[in-house]
Amino acid sequence: MESKRGKYILIGLSAFCIMLIGITSFKDGFLTPLRSGFGYFLIPIQSGVNRTGTTIYNELRDFSRLKSAVNENRELKLRIDELMEDNTRLQSEQFELQRLRELYRLDQDYLQYEKIGARVIAKDSGDWFQVFRINKGSADGVQVDANVIAGGGLVGIVTDVGANYATVRSIIDDVSRVSAMAQQSGEHCIVAGDLMVYRDGRLRITNIMDEADIKGGDRIVTSNISAKFLPGILIGYAVDITIDTSRLTKSGYLIPTAEFDSLQEVLVITTLKEEVEATGAAE
Amino acid sequence: MRKVIFNIILIILAFTVQCGIFPLMPFLSATPNLLLILTFSFGFAHGRDAGMYYGLFAGILLDLFYSGSFGFYTLLFINVGYLNGICTRYYYEDYITLPLILSVVNELVYNLYIYIFRFLVRNRLDFWYYAKEIIIPEIIFTVVTTLLIYRFFLYTNRQLEELDKR
Repeated sequence: MESKRGKYILIGLSAFCIMLIGITSFKDGFLTPLRSGFGYFLIPIQSGVNRTGTTIYNELRDFSRLKSAVNENRELKLRIDELMEDNTRLQSEQFELQRLRELYRLDQDYLQYEKIGARVIAKDSGDWFQVFRINKGSADGVQVDANVIAGGGLVGIVTDVGANYATVRSIIDDVSRVSAMAQQSGEHCIVAGDLMVYRDGRLRITNIMDEADIKGGDRIVTSNISAKFLPGILIGYAVDITIDTSRLTKSGYLIPTAEFDSLQEVLVITTLKEEVEATGAAE
Repeated sequence: MRKVIFNIILIILAFTVQCGIFPLMPFLSATPNLLLILTFSFGFAHGRDAGMYYGLFAGILLDLFYSGSFGFYTLLFINVGYLNGICTRYYYEDYITLPLILSVVNELVYNLYIYIFRFLVRNRLDFWYYAKEIIIPEIIFTVVTTLLIYRFFLYTNRQLEELDKR
């Protein structure tokens, strides 16, 4: 008798799930309170486990790195001398740049976005998806579509926000598409995550126009026409650009600047692209 | 009762370890799917209904973790729990061969499910590449972990059952 009831419950639950999948594929806003509420309960546990794990792992790693660090230290001291010299030169150039900027009234300085630091507390363990979770949420000013950077390069975009956490989809995820451009020539392209090439540490660059001037070694940054990504964030460097068989477009690969294997801390840009555009239009 | 609470805590623990600790170790080329192991072990040891409810809980945890369509994992996990529960009539305590076979079958189903509904529908047709790079390593890791976890799980559940009887 009990097993028969079980069967009905199974069918009922399955149907309910399929219905939910259908509904949430189009609109998942109404689940935010649920996810957020659950976050209050789960995030402290995740943070705790994550912190313990990180500490143990870092201790082990530090120990093994101690040896190489001594050698490295010697080399780095030499580097410091060189860099000091460079620094003095660059500082004077910086002043020059500032003067020139004022001169040209370059008011749109890319580096002025507001950022907050966040810690990566959980990550999908399987290899199918490249999403991770950070310990800052709407309470800290993180919003859906906020850009996430680390190590000087773009890492991903916030897809889901709770009160004290946010879920980030990396640009290396198989569904990720970023509208980008070559910094030098300003020609547009699409940077697409692809599981098959990510294994070699690469992303795909597609949709480059045939006559566009993008070569291997070019710096690829987020484009100014992207709807969600702020312009001018470095993504990586182009390599192996070739002409497609259609002869109308070119495509190639991109080596990302951010290191995705060892992400522990990231920066979230709290300014959204929409807001930048809205204030830009109002002025 | 203690058994149920213990098992729920075990699922939460597995979830946090799976999402919080495994990804920190870049030298692990694949990671075992602890939630799947637990769900099918519950189903196999405690029967269809229990398997289904534990699967429901594990699936909801995963669905809450991912953004996007809700219910994707829940749907799979309740069915895994239930279907493995059917094999419960072949369940003997020290019999490890069948659980290992089940573990392989479940991993295969789990990965095919993701491949078909998340990758094939986007026209990613090179199945052999994904099989070689993702599915097979994950199956191997999971089977090895099953050997350890299943024993641990049986042992603790037996102890807890005796405690409950007193």
